[in-house]
Amino acid sequence: MRLQGRHWAFLGLIAVVTVTMLLGIRPAVVPSADTERMYGYLDSLPAGTVLMVSFDHEASSLPEIAPLAQAFLRHAMSRGLRLIGVSLLAEGTGIGYRLMSQTADEYGLKYGTDYVHLGFKPQYIAAILSMGESLSKTYPEDYSGNEYGALPLLSGISNYDDVAGVVSIADGSLTTHWIEYAGARYGVRVSAFVTAAMVTTYDPYLASGQMYAMVGGLRGAAEYEGLIEIGGSGTRAMLAQTAAHVYVILLIIIGNVIYFRLRSKRREA
Amino acid sequence: MEIGTVVAGVLTLAIFTFLYRDNPVYRMAESILIGVSIGYFLVITWTNSLMDLLFQPLLTQGEWPLVVPLVLGFLMFTRFVRRATWLSRIPMAVLIGSGAGVAIPAMLNARTLKQMSATVVPLLGESGWFDFSGLIVLLGVLSTLSYFYFSREHRGLLGVSARIGTYFLMIFFGTTFGYTVMSRMSTFIGRVEFLLNDFLKLTS
Repeated sequence: MRLQGRHWAFLGLIAVVTVTMLLGIRPAVVPSADTERMYGYLDSLPAGTVLMVSFDHEASSLPEIAPLAQAFLRHAMSRGLRLIGVSLLAEGTGIGYRLMSQTADEYGLKYGTDYVHLGFKPQYIAAILSMGESLSKTYPEDYSGNEYGALPLLSGISNYDDVAGVVSIADGSLTTHWIEYAGARYGVRVSAFVTAAMVTTYDPYLASGQMYAMVGGLRGAAEYEGLIEIGGSGTRAMLAQTAAHVYVILLIIIGNVIYFRLRSKRREA
Repeated sequence: MEIGTVVAGVLTLAIFTFLYRDNPVYRMAESILIGVSIGYFLVITWTNSLMDLLFQPLLTQGEWPLVVPLVLGFLMFTRFVRRATWLSRIPMAVLIGSGAGVAIPAMLNARTLKQMSATVVPLLGESGWFDFSGLIVLLGVLSTLSYFYFSREHRGLLGVSARIGTYFLMIFFGTTFGYTVMSRMSTFIGRVEFLLNDFLKLTS
């Protein structure tokens, strides 16, 4: 077993993250204006308001998505907002259902009355447009096989006109379709919790007002956990996140110093 | 400890072995991921989509117009029969035609018109002071667009503008890359937290 340079870099990262996680220090996180806007929006909705939450992500992004989703669900459920879960990606269905059920259990909420998960529909553009016409025709049954009409929460919910907005929890570009089709065509207020990699994709939509509010990345999750005063994975990971970033910056500096020194030596030779 | 936690912990460690080099343990974990993902997708598409929206309404509620999408769906499979391949062009034409018809106006509105109007902001803020951010947005949009204008050589005023545009592009690429690194770190930290907290029970 012969270790090369990149192996040492990986081992260093593993050591930095493991040690900082074991320390258990939770630094204070100051919420950004975007996170406060999302918090203010959800906080302003009266109890009983129906919100649609779309789990538009794959299983691979769960470590980043779960803290974001949990922070949102805890805030919404603790405030008595009623949630309709859907998924535009198949893998988001089971994860979304599990996250909703786990959070609902924390607050003693009942499936069918306080929250439902309708499941997955393929062809996201067709699914979004179809929900705008009729939610019951798009989802004759929920994820668990219950008929649409048998779920008390859904009585009186026909389409987007009967929900206060859509919150997309996404690791890719699917929120764009909510903005382009549900937002532009049906006037739905679209907000999102997204992975850090997607923040720059959605910033223009936030700046133009096409998206109402956005929380991004593990940092956003930590900020939101601070606002709702419930610690979670986001807060626990902040020290590790900071240490990992410092470590990467140091690697970049060291790499550049080595590169320029080798280049000058080559020139001299 | 739950069996699911044990399986997830072992598979996470199996994937991490790739950090040393490609190996059979990593490939086994990767194959499981692909197999489970495809299997889950097929099952959920069958139960949540084909049964709900096609077969049940067609067979139990007599919604005969659904025969049309059913036949179009089956025609897709003619791609596997050389003499009947041409038939698969019919559902493809329906998909592309309807898809383009729906997408073009929506994308033109959301990605071009709304974004263009968002760049037109008053340069005097509500407080009456000059708004530099509005000016930077305007400068960024115009200079970046000029960089992608290839009908004239980038010299003189156009050259200066295109050069400024490249700086804006570099700032965007840097920001996006930084966010992507942050995202990947978050994923890694999440798995380390799972290993320490749920799998090894070293933290709480």
